[in-house]
Amino acid sequence: MGAFIIRRLFWAIFLFIVATIITYVIFFVIPSDPATIACGTHCTPPIIAHIRLSLHLNLPFYQQYWLFLWNMLRHGSLGYSFVNGASVRWIIGQAAPITGSLVAGGAVCWLALSIPVGVISALRPRSILDRAGMVFVLIGISAPVVWIGLILAYIFGFKLGWTPIATYCNFFPSHQIGVCSGPANWAYHLVLPWATFMLLFAALYVRLIRANVMETMSEDFVRTARAKGASSARVLFQHVLRNSMLPVVTILGMDIGLALGGAVFTETVFNLNGLGQTLISAASQENLPVVVGVVVFATVAVIIFNFLVDVAYAWLDPRIRLST
Amino acid sequence: MRRKHVLSLLMLSMGVGLLVAAMTVGVASARTGQHNAKTATRGGTLQVDQSGGAFDTLDPQLSYVTNDWTVLSNTQLLLVNFPDKAGKAGTQLFPEAATAFPTFSNNGKTVVFHLRKGMKFDNGKPVTAANFQRAFERVLSPSMYAQYGCFDYIDQFVVGGTKFANCAGTTGVTTSKHISGISAKGLTLTIHLTKANATFVNIMAMQWFGAIPSNMAYTKSDSGILVYPSAGPYYIATNQPSTLTVLKRNKYWHGARPANPDTIVIHTFPNSDGEAALLQTEAGQIDMDMTGVPSADVAKVSSTYGGPNKGQFHVGGTSCIIWSALNNGKAPTDNAAVRKAINYAISRQPIIQLAGPYSGSSADQILVPGMPGYSKFHVYPSYPNFSKAKSVGGSALTAAANTPVNIYYRTSSHLQTNIALYEKKQLNTIGLKNVNLEAADLTSYYGPLETRATAEGSNGYNLARAGWCADYFDPFDYINVNFDGRTLSDTGNVDYFYFNNSSFNSQMDHAAALGGSARSAAYAALDKELMVKYAPAVPIEVANDRFLTAKRVKNWIYSYYFGEPDFNAMVIG
Amino acid sequence: MALLEVTDLVTRFRTDDGIVQAVSGVSFSLDRGQTLGVVGESGSGKSVTFLTVMGLVDPRHADVTGSVRFDGNELLGASFSTLRKIRGQRIGMIFQDPMTSLNPVKRIGWQLEEAVLIHNDVSRSEARRRSLEVLDEVEIPRADARIDDYPHQFSGGMRQRVMIAMALINQPDLLIADEPTTALDVTTQAQILRLMKKLQDEHGTAIVMITHDLGVVAELADDAAVMYGGRIVEEAKVQDLFAQPEMPYTWGLLGSLPRADITAARLEQIPGQPPSLLRPPNGCAFNPRCAYAFDRCRAELPELRPSPTSGEHRFRCHLDDADRLRIWTAKKAELTSTEGTAA
Repeated sequence: MGAFIIRRLFWAIFLFIVATIITYVIFFVIPSDPATIACGTHCTPPIIAHIRLSLHLNLPFYQQYWLFLWNMLRHGSLGYSFVNGASVRWIIGQAAPITGSLVAGGAVCWLALSIPVGVISALRPRSILDRAGMVFVLIGISAPVVWIGLILAYIFGFKLGWTPIATYCNFFPSHQIGVCSGPANWAYHLVLPWATFMLLFAALYVRLIRANVMETMSEDFVRTARAKGASSARVLFQHVLRNSMLPVVTILGMDIGLALGGAVFTETVFNLNGLGQTLISAASQENLPVVVGVVVFATVAVIIFNFLVDVAYAWLDPRIRLST
Repeated sequence: MRRKHVLSLLMLSMGVGLLVAAMTVGVASARTGQHNAKTATRGGTLQVDQSGGAFDTLDPQLSYVTNDWTVLSNTQLLLVNFPDKAGKAGTQLFPEAATAFPTFSNNGKTVVFHLRKGMKFDNGKPVTAANFQRAFERVLSPSMYAQYGCFDYIDQFVVGGTKFANCAGTTGVTTSKHISGISAKGLTLTIHLTKANATFVNIMAMQWFGAIPSNMAYTKSDSGILVYPSAGPYYIATNQPSTLTVLKRNKYWHGARPANPDTIVIHTFPNSDGEAALLQTEAGQIDMDMTGVPSADVAKVSSTYGGPNKGQFHVGGTSCIIWSALNNGKAPTDNAAVRKAINYAISRQPIIQLAGPYSGSSADQILVPGMPGYSKFHVYPSYPNFSKAKSVGGSALTAAANTPVNIYYRTSSHLQTNIALYEKKQLNTIGLKNVNLEAADLTSYYGPLETRATAEGSNGYNLARAGWCADYFDPFDYINVNFDGRTLSDTGNVDYFYFNNSSFNSQMDHAAALGGSARSAAYAALDKELMVKYAPAVPIEVANDRFLTAKRVKNWIYSYYFGEPDFNAMVIG
Repeated sequence: MALLEVTDLVTRFRTDDGIVQAVSGVSFSLDRGQTLGVVGESGSGKSVTFLTVMGLVDPRHADVTGSVRFDGNELLGASFSTLRKIRGQRIGMIFQDPMTSLNPVKRIGWQLEEAVLIHNDVSRSEARRRSLEVLDEVEIPRADARIDDYPHQFSGGMRQRVMIAMALINQPDLLIADEPTTALDVTTQAQILRLMKKLQDEHGTAIVMITHDLGVVAELADDAAVMYGGRIVEEAKVQDLFAQPEMPYTWGLLGSLPRADITAARLEQIPGQPPSLLRPPNGCAFNPRCAYAFDRCRAELPELRPSPTSGEHRFRCHLDDADRLRIWTAKKAELTSTEGTAA
């Protein structure tokens, strides 16, 4: 396990460096002047010159990159936004919990829906439920996330008035008047975004789980369990589920990056100022420190999540755990 | 010039052209306002969204765009201010922090403001003249790295301003502690002007000149100081850039302007298309979107809520004139006959119709309704007249047939592209065969306009879509600021027309020195002369704002000076 | 009373291509403590027969008729809970591939304990004690150290011992072993067979040994049944079957058998493929591969009839007694002489 972790760690550092260099290169290749952007509305050449110096834009590319790494490692600083001067760490600190809540809660929801539906369709192939599940899968796969989100917001938020239409509430209660917060409000406001994620991903996962469960059901060890006299429930829960969840865990690890991408659209529909929105704004304003900050954060988050998935996989599958 | 507002107006993609004149709008909202004023009460939290935009900064001396000023108008205590009243009453200045309008002496060159007693910042500190003195200093200090005061000639108006601001010199050097022409003593603020200035009182109504703590720091950071004590009806309690702004009532506020909601919460969603906020407003989950109704939804919203200004759907005029600037420094638009021909060829209604219902009223003059000196005239048609264009253009137009004509436009929306394509088609029709489209994105759009070498170079523009909203209520801000060619320098130009006519310059000087009705008459004449004789621009429309409020919101009062509603006057039912 | 009595068992599977009749009227019986060897190629219906006996064919896809009486009780049509009580408790089962027949994510001990706990109201520690005991019994070395290992940490032979232990842990009356040695190497095969024999001697368990290997039958079984195309084509006491097989398919099987007593140096493959159960040939199922087939074989299914020598020895073939005797005698001589030449 030790060697496994060390190998993972090196891979993570490598990924991190590659991701940040690519982001840097993109910004140096596109024809724009960060100093002009940072300068703001009305600007004169002396002000631009001053900003260029203070942002170290006069230095060559590799030195700027080195400064960025140094500031991050030495001071834990990701720099300051060109546009409003706020610290990138603060900006990410504001946005990350929103995207985190969205993706994590969304993942819980889509698994909570797709596991039972997938299992039931596997147990009763060609039943009404299986076919209904398949229709649902097709809708989920074909419909764009923005469309799903808008429809949900319109029907459940607006027409029926069951849920908020948009915006985010902080999980931790704050005493700010007029700004909603607290766990209940947090969950209530995220119901629709989660549902959007659920529809989007549950579709794929129902297919995946159905196929895995059906495959596992035909495994020899399941026949062994039956021959032992195990009840259907025991066969399902003790023998089929854990084995059929193994590929799901792997796919989940791969999908987390995809989910961050999906978050961009979901955040747009539901007015959530998460990382996706931050990234879009920053990219359109050519606000390099914020873009790099979000990329760094997302890379680290994906790397950590994948590491956790590997650990979970090893925990689920002793063949991996005991052979490494 | 509050040009962000122009941008946001332009960005709204608009459609059919039912015209509602700005004045009609004023009357309509006046009726609503009076009706609701009777039931006005204090309390509650006003929930506002800002979709598809963000505050540049809420630092009073760094802010220069409409949405920023909308917030600041709730927090700033000004020497003179506009009352939160609907219609024409809302455009009449009243002394707010000052006990009365100032006394002018020394041939109008010494201005003295006496401040009211007992006004306080939200932290309990009393307001004195030093608080206003500091505002002047922050407007002009080179240490702010954004001397907007220079762009509006504030340094040239006040004695010692030029020396203090050092606008032309290297930034970053504060030359002196105070501006020599401004002195503060207790509740008395004395300002020495370089010459008599009829607009000076109007300028004092800009948010730049509100009371700030007398030790409020100069800051280099672009966002400025996020939170600071305010002496107006509200103060900024929370200010998270691009996310959340919370205003709370200043408990010491006893001024004439209302402070109805206890709290004003503004959530900002820079990338939102406004659809979510619209649904939220309709469902009563928020009170309004300060960006307005998305243009695609205007027609539906209008029919759902019984048309404009009948209830929850509000259409309001602005002080913003949208135009295509013609570059007087680059052939063929350096020729007045060609510029006039273009004014006949590119006409107003087709462009307004591209932008949706209630998007604006057609205009072919520089001054906007409500502005002193505004006198409606009709020199150029609302619809294209090609034969007239050709006859007016004459031989100059014929000679320019193959001269390159560059249309410069922003890629920020389909609407902008469509307008550019329309303009190209119209120019082709009157015989200008060599028309090129040049696009730029939002962030880099204004650089080439402000830089003379680029503007007049071979890749410079002949037509560029831009506009102007009032900084303060005086025709000077429209005519002199935009068309005084003596201000042209290599960079940082406001005169995007590169228009410089010595006889017109001296006429403008003359008008600027006048006061009262003579001033209005002089500017009315200048406005007309400008279009009839020189046609430096193609004015298109006076833009409108289109808002939807939640059912519970009462006492809608719209300030067309800001192009925004007065949050502090709203009553939450 | 026989322990297991199967009468006219028919199993049909509904597939997308049509009905597959995997078992067509199989009857046999097995007494306590006896061993029945069931021989046949893949697809002969031998495995399906016993999955049907155990109720392990999916009723959503399969139609089953006939009768399966176990210890006097009818199993066909019995409730799921009745079947469940018999499975693992009174009938144990071992499968062909020990590599895949154990749950890879559960410890060996857990899987053994599960077999105990399903049928007995005992504590987990008691279940563990029995598991250790039975692991000792199947000669797993250092069972107490290995009991918490996972299947992948065991070799194939060891896993098959675990499977046997699991099948026998509740001391069933009947053990159905479906090709228990096929996936194992020769040395391990012998060990496993020896072990099964030993355990049968100790516990008196009846065994059904399903195999395609007549050698295994010769070693272990009392009775033998040869299956082909879903039917029993020959059944007899083991010694009778080897002494005087009565039909061409059995002759072919014997020809392909490396054996100590009738030893053939050259393995004779039966030419051709097993019949399609979806579209079985008319007449005798073996006729397309049979060197001695004549018109009647292609038209008429031969009945299961007693051999001239023994009433317990029955077979299906249209060849008359004289022909069969002549052919078998020649065949036997050929097999023996080949051995001679090779030696």
